[in-house]
Amino acid sequence: MNEEMERFERRLQHQPLRQVPIEWREEILSATGKVGTARRAVRGRLGEASLPKFRDWLSALLWPNPQAWAGLAAVWILIFAMNFSARDTSPMVAEKNSRPSSEAVVELRQQQRLLAELIGSRETQATGPSKTFDRQPRSERGFEMMTT
Amino acid sequence: MRRGPDLRRLYDGHSQSLYAFLLNLTRDENDTRDLLQDIFIKLARDPKLLAGVRDERAFLIRLAHNATIDLIRRRGTRDKTREQFTAEGISPFAPDANPDEQTFRVALADALAELPTEQRAVVHLKLWEGLTFEEIANTLEIPQNTAASRYRYGLDKLRECLRPLYDEMKKAE
Repeated sequence: MNEEMERFERRLQHQPLRQVPIEWREEILSATGKVGTARRAVRGRLGEASLPKFRDWLSALLWPNPQAWAGLAAVWILIFAMNFSARDTSPMVAEKNSRPSSEAVVELRQQQRLLAELIGSRETQATGPSKTFDRQPRSERGFEMMTT
Repeated sequence: MRRGPDLRRLYDGHSQSLYAFLLNLTRDENDTRDLLQDIFIKLARDPKLLAGVRDERAFLIRLAHNATIDLIRRRGTRDKTREQFTAEGISPFAPDANPDEQTFRVALADALAELPTEQRAVVHLKLWEGLTFEEIANTLEIPQNTAASRYRYGLDKLRECLRPLYDEMKKAE
C-alpha cells in the first residue's frame, strides 16, 4: 500500500509545471523599476539633495574661523546649563511663593468686610427698619408680642 | 547608501516557482500576474524586507501564499461562486502532445482544484517544490503536524479522484 502510494506521488511529481510567460519579466521588472525610481526621487528631494546644500551653507558661514564659532557655541551651552541648574523649580518653593502674605490676607478681609457693609446698608435702605426688627431672636419676638 | 535587493536576480531565481504556486492556488493567469507583480513591487518599495532572510525562496512563497489568501478572502466576500470559477480555470501543468498524458494532467488539475486552498498549498510545496514538512511548516507558518496531515488528506483525495484513470494507465503500461 505504501509502495503504491509512493509510486503515485512520484508520478505526480513528474508532471511538468507550466512555464512563466517570458514577456512578464520585463513588464514586472519595469513596474518595479518605476516604483524604485519614484522612491529614489522622493528620497533625493527630501534628503540627499538638501544635505550637501546645507553643508555648503554651514561651511560658508563658519569658514573664517570655525574654532571661534565652536567656542562661542560652547559658551552658550555653558550659560544655558548654569541657568538651568541655578533655577529652583521644586514644588515646595512654588507652594511658598503661591501662599499670600499676612498683610494681603488682612487687606482682603478688610475689603470683604467693607463690601458686606455696603451690601448690608443698601439692603437696609431698600427694606426699611422692619428688617432690623426681624433680626431679633424668635423667642424674644414672641415675648414682645405678648407684652404688647 | 543602503542598496535594495537585486530584483532581476530574484525574479530569475524564483519567478518560476512563484508562478506555478500562485497559478495552482488562483487558477487564474491574470490574478497570478497581479500577485507576482505585487510581490516584486513590495520588494522594490521596502528593500529592507529581505534583510536577514536566510531562505529567500521560502520567504517569497510565504508572501505569495499570504497575498493569495488575502485575494481569496476579498473575493470570497464579494463573489461566492469564485471557487467554481477557479475550478474551471487554467491548469498549472504544461500541456503535453501525448493524449493519455494530457488527459491525466487535466484530470490532476481538476482534482487539485477540488482541494481546499490550504491543502493545495501544502501538496504543491511537497510535490513540486520538494520541501520537507518542516520547511513547509516554516514557510506557511503552521505546525509541522498540520502540514503533514494536510498533505496526507490532500494526497488521499487526489488518489481517490484519479484512481480510475491511474489504474487504467498502469494497466496500459
